[in-house]
Amino acid sequence: MAPPRAFTEFIAEATEVLDTLGAELLVLDEQRGQEPDPDRLNAVFRAAHSLKGLAGLFGHDRIARLAHVEEDALDALRLGKVPLDDALLDTLIESLDVLQALIAEASQGTVDGPAAEQALALATRFEALAVKDVAPDLDPLDAVGLDSQVRAVLTEYEEHRLRENVKKGVALWTVRAVFSLDDFDTRLASLNAALKPLGEVVSTLPSSRPGEDASIAFDLLFGTGQGEPELRAVLGPFAATLGLLAPAQAKVAVAPRPSAPALAAVKQPRPTAPDPVVPSVVVESSSPSLRSLTQTVRVDIGRLDALMNAVGELLLTRSNIARLAEVARHAGVTPMPGLWGQELMRESRTLERKLDELQKGILEVRMVPLGQVFDKLARLVRRLVRESGKEITFDLSGGDVELDKLIVEELSDPLMHLLRNAIDHGVERPAAREQVNKPRRATVRLKARSQGNHVVLEVADDGAGMDHERIREVAIARGLVTVAQADGFDERELLNLVFLPGFSTRQQVSELSGRGVGLDVVKTNLQRLSGIIDVQTARGRGTTFTLTLPLTLAIIRALVVSVSGRSYAVPLNSVLEIVSVKSSELRTVERREVFSLRGQTLPFLRLSRVFKLPEQPLERHYVVVVGLAQQRVGLAVDALSGQQDVVTKPLSGRLRAVRGIAGATDLGDRQAVLVLDVGALMEELLRPSAAALG
Amino acid sequence: MVRSVDWLDDFLYRPDEPTPALLEVLDPGPAVAPVPEEEEREYLAFHLAAETYAVPIERVREIVKMPVLTEVPRGGPALLGVMNLRGEVLPVYDVRARLKLIDRVSTVTGPSDVPRSARVVVLRDEQGDAGLLVDAVDDVVRLKVSLIEPAPPGSAESACVEGLSRLGDRLIILLDVERALP
Repeated sequence: MAPPRAFTEFIAEATEVLDTLGAELLVLDEQRGQEPDPDRLNAVFRAAHSLKGLAGLFGHDRIARLAHVEEDALDALRLGKVPLDDALLDTLIESLDVLQALIAEASQGTVDGPAAEQALALATRFEALAVKDVAPDLDPLDAVGLDSQVRAVLTEYEEHRLRENVKKGVALWTVRAVFSLDDFDTRLASLNAALKPLGEVVSTLPSSRPGEDASIAFDLLFGTGQGEPELRAVLGPFAATLGLLAPAQAKVAVAPRPSAPALAAVKQPRPTAPDPVVPSVVVESSSPSLRSLTQTVRVDIGRLDALMNAVGELLLTRSNIARLAEVARHAGVTPMPGLWGQELMRESRTLERKLDELQKGILEVRMVPLGQVFDKLARLVRRLVRESGKEITFDLSGGDVELDKLIVEELSDPLMHLLRNAIDHGVERPAAREQVNKPRRATVRLKARSQGNHVVLEVADDGAGMDHERIREVAIARGLVTVAQADGFDERELLNLVFLPGFSTRQQVSELSGRGVGLDVVKTNLQRLSGIIDVQTARGRGTTFTLTLPLTLAIIRALVVSVSGRSYAVPLNSVLEIVSVKSSELRTVERREVFSLRGQTLPFLRLSRVFKLPEQPLERHYVVVVGLAQQRVGLAVDALSGQQDVVTKPLSGRLRAVRGIAGATDLGDRQAVLVLDVGALMEELLRPSAAALG
Repeated sequence: MVRSVDWLDDFLYRPDEPTPALLEVLDPGPAVAPVPEEEEREYLAFHLAAETYAVPIERVREIVKMPVLTEVPRGGPALLGVMNLRGEVLPVYDVRARLKLIDRVSTVTGPSDVPRSARVVVLRDEQGDAGLLVDAVDDVVRLKVSLIEPAPPGSAESACVEGLSRLGDRLIILLDVERALP
């Protein structure tokens, strides 16, 4: 029932193009009000163009149609026929979400989903925006006196860029360069790179005057404000000849565009309030998740080459071992060579090393930069900020940190949620901030950094911070804790109450985060990834959520324990220490067993009782102290059997509901060993009612 | 030329030889009325306790000998445990208690707990493939769709039974895979 390969490829490729489009538009958005970089406009145009082509090729007409009008608008934009104003930019950014929704619908095989209507509305807007309602200016190129032969070969776009350069009042030069046929492509590229900082290469034309044999000559039309000496200095290594086409002149006076009012009519007010034409709930309704639609990973060919090499060497080792085995087989007939054992040992070590390399290589292939999800989050934040009516700077860093693809995907939703929270609840309104002498503009920060085998993500705001008193009241009011319990809590424990299901501090449910999903979901999501979430807050200074995640889920180091003759693997990243406790040292609190560890009283959880296994009376227990976030629990086991790297495999669909088991692994004896889900087990101990349900 | 085809004489009628009527050769006669080709389905038959059950052959992924199982705490009474099938972890169920074929919940965990003939039939399923412990695998049977009777109502096992079919003197119970697996 798998979709045809070509279709999967379309989704993967379209998503990729859309990502590029999104990244470029984001930069344009950040540089709002500045003169857009022509190269960037071109990149956006090309992305829309490829999307159109791609969608057309695979017969996704709705996507192709929208991409087509978008391309038209972008073409008009890059040719300077329409300016990049807020209306156009907003429409472009909105189109990302609609295109995303269209691709999502296509991936589900829906042809007439809700996105179709939005696409139509958007297409109409693009058409309106792309209308060439600018009366042709007095052509400044006429004043330059450019050779008509040269003008004839320029494309419309090049002519436009030439005109822009003349308008800026810079000098136009022709740079004639002759390159050998062997390496002209790389040389030409480096010439372009050298010229780029000085000005703009408007056009590269094969020279009308051919060079000598085995060489090729180019005429570059180059506009620059720099003088001739600087230009010559740059051109030095290229042996290029320089010719002045038009000297720098005072800015060409351009008649004010008569079309300004006409444009204003098309332009829509920047939707600070929800836009009536295209409702801003587009994303909510059609793609509530930022997860990507594809399961593909783009891999650097270098990484694959390394894998290929490792496999090659493994094959070599295999034949060596086969040879040694052959020798051993004939051992009865001919005496064994003395070095046989040593040789076998050496091969076995090589095998081990190569397998390690292979494993590392495979893990690397699974790694993707967090930037993939950061870009999408940035777009979302931009929209949320606009809708919230607050003034917020979004500060993003660490997009190059790499994590397992699986984790990156699972991470997008929790991060989205925390960011929503920061914007919606964390940060105050501008007026309120001014009252307490804070800058009007708030800052929301998303930062990633690697730390050993973990990646740490921080979502921070400089808002009002969380109110411990208020948290306490709400938790009591909702019946999450009793008054007596709450009195015994320190600040940290109080803060952690926000992660309990059914907790939400805001009385009025806001449009943004009021969708019945709380921080408890964030926490559960993270636990599934063996992650830890922690929160710090300082009154008046803001709140920081810290997420700590393992680099990969596929391979974990585990402690193998045995209970009543059964083996279990405990992920080592949640093991804090191992102690030995005598039965006589156990005490009970409210009929639950506890033990003391350096003066701290910790719950004593017998794994055999949790799993209802026959219990063996023991004088001495091994206690594996496990912890997640601030919680500590001692898991009592019968024996420890050592540490091992294990590949965790999830239990199949039917067993997913079994609580306390994260998956199974193979310890090399072909029997499956269950991997404990420490987070779930602890949850169970702390909330016995949930355990009864499970 | 002529000689080379002489040997064909053994097979061909000579011109003077009496030939049977053409109809006699092609038509088996009026005794057997021409019936439309009956739709048949293939099932894998196996033994559970003293009864013969069957599942559609296309649901069967493979049949393996009883492996060593790993118990899954709180997995439910019918779940014997999980097995490691070439790196894939699959649940293995014993549905005999569910079908009221045995009274007690079985505690099979390995090859030593079952007769030598016991096998695990790995079934394909939307919810995730799963193994089914059977006492012995019988054979693949072809059953006519029209001859499948509905399960007798009221019986305890009818919930998991799709229908009954007779093949000679064998009574074959067709197991409803979705319902039988917990």
